[in-house]
Amino acid sequence: VSTPYTELQLDTLREVANIGSGTASTALSQLLGRPVDISVPQARAVPLATAIESVGEPDLLVTGVAIPVVGDLPSLMLAVFRDDDSRRLCEMLGVEADSEVGHSALAEAGNILGTHYLGSLHTLTGLALEPAPPQVVQDMLGAIVASVLLEDATDGDLTLFIDSELTVEGEACSLSFLFVPGATGAIDLLAALGMA
Amino acid sequence: MVRIGEIAASADPSDVLVALGLGSCMGVAVIDRGRHVAGLAHVMLPEAPRGGEDTVRCADRAIPALLGRVLELGGRRSQLEIAMVGGAQMFAARGGVGVGARNDVATRAALKRERLAPAAAVTGGDKGRTVRVEVGGEVCYREAGGTLVRLLPKGGRA
Repeated sequence: VSTPYTELQLDTLREVANIGSGTASTALSQLLGRPVDISVPQARAVPLATAIESVGEPDLLVTGVAIPVVGDLPSLMLAVFRDDDSRRLCEMLGVEADSEVGHSALAEAGNILGTHYLGSLHTLTGLALEPAPPQVVQDMLGAIVASVLLEDATDGDLTLFIDSELTVEGEACSLSFLFVPGATGAIDLLAALGMA
Repeated sequence: MVRIGEIAASADPSDVLVALGLGSCMGVAVIDRGRHVAGLAHVMLPEAPRGGEDTVRCADRAIPALLGRVLELGGRRSQLEIAMVGGAQMFAARGGVGVGARNDVATRAALKRERLAPAAAVTGGDKGRTVRVEVGGEVCYREAGGTLVRLLPKGGRA
């Protein structure tokens, strides 16, 4: 399958993701009072089935915080916390995991990441991007990711996803963070960057 | 393991076919328990676009292909039992009917075109599920965080 994006465009999206997740990790580190590292983000355009599989074990139980993005660039952000990671994060925030307040804390962490990520996208592109309230689900990884990616999809679509990994320094706690622009979202994003 | 958008079938009673982590996707199991022939489709989307590539990722093409595989292995059309698992809506819909519900409708419609109907169906809701087909004669499913429940043959826990 050939990609509709050039290597230069994907590089640009990676750089945007790098700046976005850098800002997001700074915000998370302020929330937690400890340093947070980011991996080099990946930007990939792949068929839907490949994208869904590439995220990990389909039946692994995880907590997903989905943040719909409204405005100039309808898209979706998804923060995925594996079981141990969400428990560790709740501990650091001083709340009980697997409780209602634990869920709100994860939603809030996801919200902070999302808002800062979007803020830096706005600074770079001038696009109006606003996060809708986050939704938290505890479920199977494959089920969460497939449901998110397939909602507006047509078979044969390539999905563009931008994947960052954040790790809390000195703690066994990391999370992955996906930014999934809709079908026209990627083009609009590149256009705003002068790269369409 | 039947990965997303794929189909598997077997006539070996010791084989187990599994589709993991079904969210809005639909797992469709077809079994002839008398002959120990079964198949499983992991349906991703309701309909293949016109003029698109040849694919079994969508319900409209997956169901005929799945039946074809099971019949080819000796399954008898009159003895087929069908179970559907999946089609959940995990996040609040962003307007319109969610893809899980559309997969459900499209799968039932594709079965109806073959003059078939599911004997058991666990669809909709907001939980991810896994479906497990023992070619020897049992179909079970498990909901996220739950235990294995038998769907076929009907009645009782696994």
